[in-house]
Amino acid sequence: MVQFTLPKNSKITKGKEWNPPAVDAEPGRWREYRVYRYDPETADNPRVDTYWVDMNDCGPMVLDALLWIKNKIDPTLTFRRSCREGVCGSCSMNIDGTNTLACTMHAEEAKGAAIAIYPLPHMPVVKDLVPDMTRFYAQHREIEPWLKTDSPTPQKEWRQSHDDREKLDGLYECILCACCSTACPSYWWNGDRYLGPAILLQANRWVEDSRDERTGERLDDLEDPFRLYRCHTILNCTKACPKGLNPAASIASLKRKMVERS
Amino acid sequence: MTNKLEAERPLSPHLQIYRPMLTMMMSIAHRITGAGLAVGFALLTWWLVAISIGPNAYAYVQDFFGSLLGRALLFAFTWALIHHMLGGIRHLIWDTGAGLDKQTIEIFALATIIGSIVLTVLVWIIGYYAMGGL
Repeated sequence: MVQFTLPKNSKITKGKEWNPPAVDAEPGRWREYRVYRYDPETADNPRVDTYWVDMNDCGPMVLDALLWIKNKIDPTLTFRRSCREGVCGSCSMNIDGTNTLACTMHAEEAKGAAIAIYPLPHMPVVKDLVPDMTRFYAQHREIEPWLKTDSPTPQKEWRQSHDDREKLDGLYECILCACCSTACPSYWWNGDRYLGPAILLQANRWVEDSRDERTGERLDDLEDPFRLYRCHTILNCTKACPKGLNPAASIASLKRKMVERS
Repeated sequence: MTNKLEAERPLSPHLQIYRPMLTMMMSIAHRITGAGLAVGFALLTWWLVAISIGPNAYAYVQDFFGSLLGRALLFAFTWALIHHMLGGIRHLIWDTGAGLDKQTIEIFALATIIGSIVLTVLVWIIGYYAMGGL
């Protein structure tokens, strides 16, 4: 359901300012970060803390700044990260108003003077910038993201022409970071029944795969007013994808296949 | 214990913090103009009903539509209708699978805004000319 405001326990309060730079500090050297904090071990509501990062001492990416804060100022700051090069999808979060990966976003790309960082939008928060991804992964499981065949398994690999292989370009690169799904207002309001852009792009990846032999069944599973058709082409997904993919185009392609086969 | 924690988890902020983007605003505008059309067509119905009732009722409605408020409402209705129509055409194109790349979605959004304003003004200029109101 549409809900424009946050529940009572989720309202954000003013947090702490950790290390304001000295009044005579070199101009432009300290960058302000406003970071969402939530500690499940207290009864307090979430808050936004302010940290100042010394850009002379810190790497260029937003993830560098988060690590700098964690190492130098506040070790309790909690976030997911792993590969630091945009292939694992762990450090997806809302930075400067849009969802992206902290590791591939330059701090200089931020439009705001202070860089605001929140967890992925409209998700249950485990701690600080760590959202609970359980439902997202369950939805991925639901589309059965593996090769399904009826023919006897070949001696070697399942073969595919170059042209058929090319159909998977723009689909296989998805790292399931959930930036697109949690940017989508339809997913915010109906995430319990709408699969969301990331999972639908994955579904399309298997529908497009020439080696898969259950295309019809896959489309049957998506034929539902909510699972697929809650997409209203708002396009936040395509604008958010840090890998430059186009989930909206995948969803349009699925809708088209529904029409073509009927 | 785990379940208790899960139930108490706060919801991360969404609309409150997401940067408004042109394509997202266009989607909202499409909905708002769609709802606005209901009001517009209620006005049209009122006009039609007045015609069937008789000259007095008709004169009353004509008076209202001739007033500044009436004209403003009709102007807004014209814009909502054209904006919603152009938005609908945009969706029809998208349904074919075309026009979904990152450049085109921005061009479509701008074209809808500029097109709806230009067409609305044009319709009103033509209307005034045709009715000799200028």
